[in-house]
Amino acid sequence: MFFHIFLERNMLLHPRHFGPHLRDKLIAKLMKDIEGTCSGRHGFVVAITGVEDIGKGLIREGTGFVTFPVKYKCVVFRPFKGEILEAVVTMVNKMGFFAEAGPVQIFVSNHLIPDDMEFQSGDVPNYTTSDGSVKIQKESEVRLKIIGTRVDATEIFCIGTIKDDFLGVINDPGAAS
Amino acid sequence: MSAEEEENAADLKIGDEFLKAKCLMNCEVALILDRRLEQLQQMSDDPTNQLSQVFEKSHQYVKRFSRYKNQDAVKQVREILSRNKLSEFELSVLGNLCPETVEEAIAMVPSLKVIAFACCV
Repeated sequence: MFFHIFLERNMLLHPRHFGPHLRDKLIAKLMKDIEGTCSGRHGFVVAITGVEDIGKGLIREGTGFVTFPVKYKCVVFRPFKGEILEAVVTMVNKMGFFAEAGPVQIFVSNHLIPDDMEFQSGDVPNYTTSDGSVKIQKESEVRLKIIGTRVDATEIFCIGTIKDDFLGVINDPGAAS
Repeated sequence: MSAEEEENAADLKIGDEFLKAKCLMNCEVALILDRRLEQLQQMSDDPTNQLSQVFEKSHQYVKRFSRYKNQDAVKQVREILSRNKLSEFELSVLGNLCPETVEEAIAMVPSLKVIAFACCV
């Protein structure tokens, strides 16, 4: 799920930037440093939408660098256990398939794919029901439920399932062609 | 942190910080990111080199899964859903997935069960 939240950070600024454009420099640096990062607590920072407040700077002894407490608003993507979302399949193999929902990767093991779907190898590896009516392959859109998350310092990785009511393929690129 | 261990969106256990925060539906994120992209394009000739991978992936994702394209529709969806005393999280999941039946809605948002029972009795 995407959230719009307030975050705070202490920014360290080199003295050469001090001048009439200090605020702009600070915001530019904030965007460069923060956007695209990921923390276990807040998830992926997608975009900073506004800077709420810049506090009083504090000069660091010895270096001349100044730290400013900056309060900003940003769009973050944070997956939660138990959340249901839509994702695009990126890779299929006999262990299961990988899907992507925005910046996050989700793995769905073949134990968590309905039992009537079988793995088919070939040019386009896929999972297909015995009657061939439903097919999961690369670029398929699926609706899945997140059942576990693993949080690293710089990445979040999820395990998902489609073995539940109202989950599974919502749009199959192969069906159209 | 122990709260982290217990998190479960099905029971709305997503931590105080996120529960109080504003949730965004995919279509709203698409609007925000579109605007951001426009700003960047005006500022420099080559906007792509400034964009993070996270931004690009998110943008592609929300464009693909936005059900409402125009701004007024997005506003209306939020307004209509927010009449129902839903939490931010519930509202956004419903707005994103657009369940067609009550059963589907409850499967998508198990925390709705309480409301559904209250209405039936």
